[in-house]
Amino acid sequence: MPNVPEASPGGPQRRILTSSDAELARMEAVRRYDILDTPPDGAFDRVAAIAARLFDVPVASVTIVDTDRIWFKAAHGLDGVTEIGRDPGLCGSAILRDDTLVIPDTLLDEVASGNPLVTGPLGVRFYAAAPITTSDGHRLGTVNILDTKPRLITEADTETLADLAAMVLDAMELRLSGLRLLREEQERRKEQEEARERAERDRESITAFASTLQRTLLPPALPVVPGLELACHYQTDSPRDVGGDFYDVFPLGPDRWAFFLGDVCGKGAEAAAVTSLTRYTLREAAQHHSQPADVLNALNSALLLDPSMGSRYCTCVFGTLEPAPGAGFTVTVAMGGHPPLFHLRHDDAGGVSVEEVRPKGGMLVGALEWARFASHTLHLAPGQSLLLYTDGLTEARLAEGTMLGEDGLTAFLTARDSPDAARLIEDTVSLIAGLPSGAGDDIALLAMSVPRQTADEQPATASTAHTLSTPAPFDDAARVGQEHSP
Amino acid sequence: MSNDLSLTTAHADGPTAVVTIGGDIDIETAPALRNHGLELIARGHPHLILDLTHVTFCDSSGLNALIGILRCAMAANGSLTLAAVPARMVRMLDLTGISTALPSYPSTDAAMDARVADAS
Repeated sequence: MPNVPEASPGGPQRRILTSSDAELARMEAVRRYDILDTPPDGAFDRVAAIAARLFDVPVASVTIVDTDRIWFKAAHGLDGVTEIGRDPGLCGSAILRDDTLVIPDTLLDEVASGNPLVTGPLGVRFYAAAPITTSDGHRLGTVNILDTKPRLITEADTETLADLAAMVLDAMELRLSGLRLLREEQERRKEQEEARERAERDRESITAFASTLQRTLLPPALPVVPGLELACHYQTDSPRDVGGDFYDVFPLGPDRWAFFLGDVCGKGAEAAAVTSLTRYTLREAAQHHSQPADVLNALNSALLLDPSMGSRYCTCVFGTLEPAPGAGFTVTVAMGGHPPLFHLRHDDAGGVSVEEVRPKGGMLVGALEWARFASHTLHLAPGQSLLLYTDGLTEARLAEGTMLGEDGLTAFLTARDSPDAARLIEDTVSLIAGLPSGAGDDIALLAMSVPRQTADEQPATASTAHTLSTPAPFDDAARVGQEHSP
Repeated sequence: MSNDLSLTTAHADGPTAVVTIGGDIDIETAPALRNHGLELIARGHPHLILDLTHVTFCDSSGLNALIGILRCAMAANGSLTLAAVPARMVRMLDLTGISTALPSYPSTDAAMDARVADAS
């Protein structure tokens, strides 16, 4: 079978036959099926092959009519032909009518006789085509049969050709719904991917926000208290979690300071809100009440009064510091449901005694209206120190899986030889860093020590404050600890 | 491995109800304990005795639930009493000062006797 002469693009035969609204709507329908210029497809090839066999013709094709060309979706007996021009007479005319076009002898047909397929090397003499018509009436293309000799076909043959065209439409509909499913699937995947990326960005901004919040919940640095060495450490279990641990040291007057350290029950935004309320309430109440227990009473009332605080409560140590007559400081602490403080006394011989400060009966703050808070006054003499901590320290797990506990902490403190607050904090951070699973919870540490005076040294000349604040993952805290460990 | 919480209620025919608790009281199970306690109080049993013999674990969430039940019971002119508190919980209740607000007895019988003495 000779090849069909291809119409040259832009050539004289190649023209857009109609640009009416109907043609625009038809082209929209053609594009909807998204079939133009797709690779060969078995279903359409089979329709062309069946048509050729049924009608015993050398050429049968399935075409889709584009704006300016007739494109072959399937072509049986026309090797290598992909498209021809929209010349009138054959397919170009068939597309314009609702019924099947039958031209028994092209040479006897006024229009068809001038078609390149008739006048060209193919020499088509017989042509019949049934339009492929969508349910909404758009003719997308045709199923054609061609022969090189004139012939007649019966009414039944005409109907068969129309049925084949209907089968082609069915195949196109199937293909389209498959395409739609695929597109929806791709769309869904794209949306999922976008949602995942959005979530990732959200997570990052939440982490950044939480870190900022952590910083605002902590004092930027400790104040300088003449004659006292202060040191602290803070670490959160995760950079995303806003911890419930808090501490502060601030002046109450020219010769008086207040300090507190505590732990709000729970984590996250709600705990952060309670932490914030707690910090500001303690600072404010400290200005109005001279007794630490009264300050905790004020906090208790504030936490219970605020309905938005729900059933949140905290454990807290609140204390005041005043220079003691002679040397050192008078420390008064009130405790509410908090683990005991440790009072360390280092003697000149290098020995150390560790005493738990645990006033009886101090209840959780913010849990019950009639809560009572126990207080205790002690003298922090030169060479002595005081360690405050949250339960993240005593509940840290040792290698064997048991908690460090107050006994473990006592043993650790007894084995140390330096009374300096800064060294005490550094060593404790190293202790945590050396545990197999780190802290596992937030930890706040606050230490204060009164430097020992040498014979000719004036009292109260040494005063330093160290802030080791690490609102970061545990690894960072571990590194800080190791850098500072002796 | 956490143990499922079990709640068994007895003597719930007067103002006093005894709840025997088993398993872990943690962040997962504490709300169930709290709701159960609040429901008993709402149903006319403002005096609750919690038997803790079979409690295998209790963290701050559990403590939170106990405080919630205590506050609710007191608002209803009732009481919350603990019986057979495991040693580790005694430590936590002492540390947080909650033991001063929650009377506890070695057994449910002792707690019931105290309740009867209190009521008469």
